[in-house]
Amino acid sequence: MILTFASGTRTTASDLDNMLSVRILVVEDERKLAQVVASALQAQHYDVVIAPTGEDGFFRANAETFDLVLLDLMLPGRNGLEILQTLRKRQVQTPVLILTARDGVDDRVLGLDLGADDYLVKPFALPELLARIRALLRRGRVSDILRFKVADLELDLVTRRATRADELIDLTAREFELLEYLFRHQGHVVSRGMLAREVWKEPRRATPIDNVIDVQITRLRKKVDVEGFQRLIHTVRGVGFILREGEP
Amino acid sequence: MIQRWSAASIRARLTGWYALVLLAMLIVYATATYLAVRHEFLEQLDEQLHDEFEAAETRLTRTSDGRIGWREEQHHDADHEPERVFEVWAATGEQLHRSGAAVTLPPTALAAANSSYHYETVTANGERWRTLAAPVTVGGHAVVLRVSRSEERVLGQLWEVLVVLVLGLPLIVLMAGAGGYMLARRALRPIDHLASEAHRITAEQLHQRLSVPNQRDEIGRLASVINDTLARLELSFDQLRRFTADASHELRTPLAIVRGIGEAALAERRTPPEYEEALGSILEEVDRMSNLVDTLLRLSRGDAGTIRLTQEPTNLGDLAREAASSLGILAEERNQTLALDISDGPIAPVDRLVLREAVTNVLDNAIKYSPKGSTVVVRVDRMGDRAVIAVADQGPGIAPEHRDRIFDRFFRVDQSRTRNGGGAGLGLAIAKWAVEMHGGQITVQDGPRGGSEFRIVLPIAPIDPAASDRTPKTVPRGGSS
Repeated sequence: MILTFASGTRTTASDLDNMLSVRILVVEDERKLAQVVASALQAQHYDVVIAPTGEDGFFRANAETFDLVLLDLMLPGRNGLEILQTLRKRQVQTPVLILTARDGVDDRVLGLDLGADDYLVKPFALPELLARIRALLRRGRVSDILRFKVADLELDLVTRRATRADELIDLTAREFELLEYLFRHQGHVVSRGMLAREVWKEPRRATPIDNVIDVQITRLRKKVDVEGFQRLIHTVRGVGFILREGEP
Repeated sequence: MIQRWSAASIRARLTGWYALVLLAMLIVYATATYLAVRHEFLEQLDEQLHDEFEAAETRLTRTSDGRIGWREEQHHDADHEPERVFEVWAATGEQLHRSGAAVTLPPTALAAANSSYHYETVTANGERWRTLAAPVTVGGHAVVLRVSRSEERVLGQLWEVLVVLVLGLPLIVLMAGAGGYMLARRALRPIDHLASEAHRITAEQLHQRLSVPNQRDEIGRLASVINDTLARLELSFDQLRRFTADASHELRTPLAIVRGIGEAALAERRTPPEYEEALGSILEEVDRMSNLVDTLLRLSRGDAGTIRLTQEPTNLGDLAREAASSLGILAEERNQTLALDISDGPIAPVDRLVLREAVTNVLDNAIKYSPKGSTVVVRVDRMGDRAVIAVADQGPGIAPEHRDRIFDRFFRVDQSRTRNGGGAGLGLAIAKWAVEMHGGQITVQDGPRGGSEFRIVLPIAPIDPAASDRTPKTVPRGGSS
């Protein structure tokens, strides 16, 4: 199946936004963090409910219907893992994304074993949180898009060709992967951490990889955003990069 | 107080064990002595009986009236002897004569006639008597002569021996224990001294050392060992102190920047692009800080030994190629040539991700410090049962006095080259940690073409442990620089 995205709107290109509003429960006791996350989610037109304690979170997750739960592990009243365990025991299958400051491998494995769908370690970058939420909400749907298009920039995954105004762009393998990743998240910011993990397959961000990413982006931009054309690859300072029409 | 108690406890335990062993030995000794004495006494009694029996036999005679009596009327004395009894029995069991102590002994079984000497111990009136009976012929008549002696005197003597042994035993043990205790205290006194000296050394005074009175005796050796430990402790304390100071410095700088930007931005009304600029710059610093915290956390986990490697046979040549292809773009930017000299990639059991990070960091370091247009050579080779990954650059090289510290956390040869040049100075520390986790070593020396060469040497687990060591290896490989 070949889908082409005709994207020109400033809103996110995700088709999810056009559906009935998506409800997300944020179980987080740190008020500031909960609000930051909530406002970021609301900016993406998600419906957000904040539960400031473990008890409240458990009660709401049990009683109401959500499309996704963001769950802090260290909570007053009730531990996040307990909540997760009880929810799964009661056959509540809402996708759960764990947010925690503990990044030991054992913690991660335990969380995933207990039925969490994904895991994000604090401090996380908001673009990454949003990307993971999109991935979880998209789960189970057909998403094998094989052709992308933003303005006059096109990427064909079958022929592995990239064109700008029908002019072929000569890309290295890495540049192609990078561009594909930007396309898959078009309209959304991707952080250096996401690129390091997903494109360079480095589990950790170390200084060399950050530099490599910056150089690679610069080179890709030179090839894609040539003189006389609209700029499509933008840098969001301190956050990451975004592929979109018009200034961010 | 506490170390006094534990020293006393060792003394007490030493003394206790000493006394216990002594007691056990004395008990065995006393028992053996008593048994030997007893055996000897009873044997003497039997011999005495035998002598008396023979004497009595010669004096025994048959009187004119057909009765049995003594040849000489000596039995008068015997009548008053309280410890002896002479009896003569007819073969029929009838008593023909008796003299001596006024006690009725049970009749001998030998009255029924038997030929040999028969010793027997019998009890009469609550006393034990030893008897010797045998058939004799008196004037042609077969009779049985029995000589008996009371055992009471012998038993009394034995009792005295027993009393002396039993009473003396605890006395000896007590005395020996007291002596042992004193000896132990004397022997352990230097340890008390050592302990009170060591007690005074705290984290703030780790430079102090214990006095070593005699280098060669046990206490002296103990003191030396403690001193060595103190030296190592002092070293790691110093490292830790420096590390903490460096880490807080590295964190304080971005914090100061964040605070400064925030304060400056709020000091007066600014345009949206100015706010964007301020926020972006704050985020950059935050990013730097969280990277630093991540790295520090990982290093401290490494120190605590809570990181487990997932090792599997990996081609080190491929691993180096991956690192080089990852960083190749950085070298290209500086017009540097990244040359790979990889013979047959040695296979070693490594954690691919952890080791690749080490190689990446070393390579990044080489690219960063090598001048533009120079060449960085990555060589992967096999040296006997070890694999070598060497990265040679054409940079300024590293002065010998810095070579030891180049892998220290936060160490930078050029102190002014702090943030913009590269990283927080943790890249090589991470590399060292990763290599050492694999049982390898990382060193730096002068490079073959100027500059320096970083060498990662890793053990290749021998496939056949028997053949790995003994066989002399002739590696036909020329031109190893």
